[in-house]
Amino acid sequence: MRKVTIFMIPLTMFVVLSIFLYKGLYSDPRQLDSSLINQPLPPFSLPDLMQPEVTHTPDVFKGDVTLMNVWGVWCVTCAVELPYLTQLREEQGVRIVGLYYDQDTDPDFGIKSIPTIQKEVEVKLGQLGNPYAFNIFDVKRDYSLDLGVTGAPETFLIDKQGVVRMHHIGDINPRVWNNKIAPLYNQLVAE
Amino acid sequence: MFAELGHFSLILALLMSMLLAIYPLWGAQKNHQQMMATAKPLAIGMFLFTAFSYVALTYAFYTDDFSIAYVAHHSNSLLPWYYKITAVWGGHEGSFLLWVLIFAIWTVAVALLSDGIPKAMVARVLSILGMVAIGFYLFMLWASNPFESLLPFYPVDGRDLNPLLQDFGMIIHPPMLYMGYVGFSVAFAFAIAALISGQLDSTWARWSRPWTIAAWGFLTVGIALGSWWAYYELGWGGWWFWDPVENASFMPWLIGTALMHSLAVTEKRKIFKSWTVLLAISAFSLSLLGTFLVRSGILVSVHSFASDPTRGLFILALLGIVIGGSLILYAVRAPQLKSVGRYEWFSREVMLIGNNLLLTAATMVVLLGTLLPLVHKELGLGSISIGAPFFNEMFVYLIVPFVLLLAIGPLSRWKRQSPKALQKHLIVAFAISVSAAFLIQASYDQMTYMATLGLVLSGWIFVSTIQEIMQRTDASHNKERSLLKRLTSLTPSHWGMVFGHIGFAVMLIGITLVSNYEEEKDLRMRPGDVVELGGYAFQFTGVRDLVGPNYSGHVGIVDVYTDTSLSEKVTHLEAEKRFYPVQRTSMTEAGIDSGISRDLFVALGEQLNNGAWALRLYIKPFVNWIWAGAFLMAFGGVLSMCDKRYRMAKVAKVKQRFAKLATPDVEASNVATAQKVSQGQA
Repeated sequence: MRKVTIFMIPLTMFVVLSIFLYKGLYSDPRQLDSSLINQPLPPFSLPDLMQPEVTHTPDVFKGDVTLMNVWGVWCVTCAVELPYLTQLREEQGVRIVGLYYDQDTDPDFGIKSIPTIQKEVEVKLGQLGNPYAFNIFDVKRDYSLDLGVTGAPETFLIDKQGVVRMHHIGDINPRVWNNKIAPLYNQLVAE
Repeated sequence: MFAELGHFSLILALLMSMLLAIYPLWGAQKNHQQMMATAKPLAIGMFLFTAFSYVALTYAFYTDDFSIAYVAHHSNSLLPWYYKITAVWGGHEGSFLLWVLIFAIWTVAVALLSDGIPKAMVARVLSILGMVAIGFYLFMLWASNPFESLLPFYPVDGRDLNPLLQDFGMIIHPPMLYMGYVGFSVAFAFAIAALISGQLDSTWARWSRPWTIAAWGFLTVGIALGSWWAYYELGWGGWWFWDPVENASFMPWLIGTALMHSLAVTEKRKIFKSWTVLLAISAFSLSLLGTFLVRSGILVSVHSFASDPTRGLFILALLGIVIGGSLILYAVRAPQLKSVGRYEWFSREVMLIGNNLLLTAATMVVLLGTLLPLVHKELGLGSISIGAPFFNEMFVYLIVPFVLLLAIGPLSRWKRQSPKALQKHLIVAFAISVSAAFLIQASYDQMTYMATLGLVLSGWIFVSTIQEIMQRTDASHNKERSLLKRLTSLTPSHWGMVFGHIGFAVMLIGITLVSNYEEEKDLRMRPGDVVELGGYAFQFTGVRDLVGPNYSGHVGIVDVYTDTSLSEKVTHLEAEKRFYPVQRTSMTEAGIDSGISRDLFVALGEQLNNGAWALRLYIKPFVNWIWAGAFLMAFGGVLSMCDKRYRMAKVAKVKQRFAKLATPDVEASNVATAQKVSQGQA
């Protein structure tokens, strides 16, 4: 009988280990994204893309329900959503602000001048439609990091007090708009 | 369309694994030949359907089929074709598909290469592999289907593969690692089959030895490649980080090493039977645990794929059934395992079991270090992290007795060794290794205790391995034979051991020297600046732009000279810093000049003002010896597998066939040849 007990040791160890693994499974430390929801936007002070002398701060979001759309001319999927965003602006009067992000102006990679970028953006928006009230230029891409952006396009729904209410990863199309964003958007507008 | 076929094929593979789990085992229990005979075709079927499914997913990646969720999340139209193909295992679902594919490969290999083993045993082994496979196919189809469709709404372009994974190392590292991980399933299946059948003699040890060595060899290469990949891709200049996922692959390796040696003892001396069975179960269990730790996202690490708890729960349940089930079986059956051999306290058996225990202790250290943060948190004691210092210290304690036994073990006899007879060997080995350690260190500026210790230990292994070869060759009866003849008289598996041990010593030298004599400088350099490090002069020439297929970035150019006069150029290094726009990640590709005695390593950092750049320079002495040692060990594994002993059954069979043919047919053929010859003459 004593012998059997010895051979039970591995089993016992495994059972104890499993209990901890099971508990660990439900306490994931990485709750992605949720930290920003229902929080005011992190502070920023960034230039306007088209008029660099104008500086924007979170105050630009006060008073209106806004979609802040993170995009860049290099992003294939962004190009696909531009016409629909333009349609939203024209037909439903949705206020859309761009957070422009250019890989080539980062200090680590930078050689592209601001006029070049402005020209590229103008051409792109001229072809596909311009949904933006204005574009905030995330010069060093720091602000995108603060927002926890993982790729482009991504969109933040911001209420009249400048509080983030929703973070959507990926493009906005009629399906996403109608099912996911519009209900909350309409509710926020009505508030 | 092709993808749907792939999905369907995966379901068929599940069906095959279910049949495989039932019929051959049933046949073996009832001694029903036809049912046992189904094992081979079912194993082949399981492999073919899995392989087709894998090809279908690869094709979806190759053709940018973004209607499949997995492809959309892990590929991108800008990705070069070879990364599209390797992106198949870049994420959770696909790497599981690769896992089951490799599992199916091992299963089919057992089915095809086990002619010499009794039919009932093979049937049981394949059935057990089938049972394990069921769990994984169900998991894939239920919780992690790589063929899940995004139709009717799918993205225009994919999200791209993590740039860390866009690398040659990534192309071969995971398949190798999986070959090793999954390969331990064969030894596991043999052990369980032996427990089920009650056939608890040591034959199962002989049958599972080559499989275990093969799996161990793959795992060795896989871990070495992973370490090499981390070295030049992550740009941190390190070669091992005690990252939870590295640990997850290291634990089965440690236990696998113990298992390999324990199997040898069980086969030759018929002892330690229950210990060997436990190791066989543990090696595969740790592989599964490693899979769980990586896939469940339970541990935060560079490697982990984020995933939801349901998947983790499923794998945990699978773990519970496979590991828990086999440990229960073990607890019930192991008391019947009787070891028959006798041995004294100073004998090869004791040294081998001693090293087994040390390897197990090392595994426990890694397991504890990996899981303690988790346990700590669950007990409500807050988050802690256990870093490299803990592991390094523990391994230094363990390695001293380990090397001592490693060196003396092969010199000793089975059953009983008189310590006196070894005295001379030991004194010679000690004297040579200590002097070697001091001589090597004389070429460096300062001497450290750690470096001395490491060098003495590695020298000790070298010398005693040579002593062992001499001992063997002298013992062979014919002393007049030439040295070469005597050396070739040693069996391949003996050479396998020699290479395994020498490989370990080579690796130990690399680890010792790079850990103690590495030189590093973090610098701010402007184009034209020259800096001296470790007897070399590094000149930063400047930075040029870089445009790749799916990234852009900068290349820092550094020329290395023998001294500051910049007259004699050693090498030209280019360190890249890449930016991947779709995933918005930066990556470094270090510029490395590799050599036998040192690596020169340059990584490009951030751009600073006034055209200056941050640069990191390293001189890493003997770092390549670490990987060279690993490959030598794996080569030793290959040699061992080539040993005739494992083909004994086959050879016997062929001999039998010849014996049958011998009398009438040989005569007939002789006549035929004679006729031909005479015709030719005519």
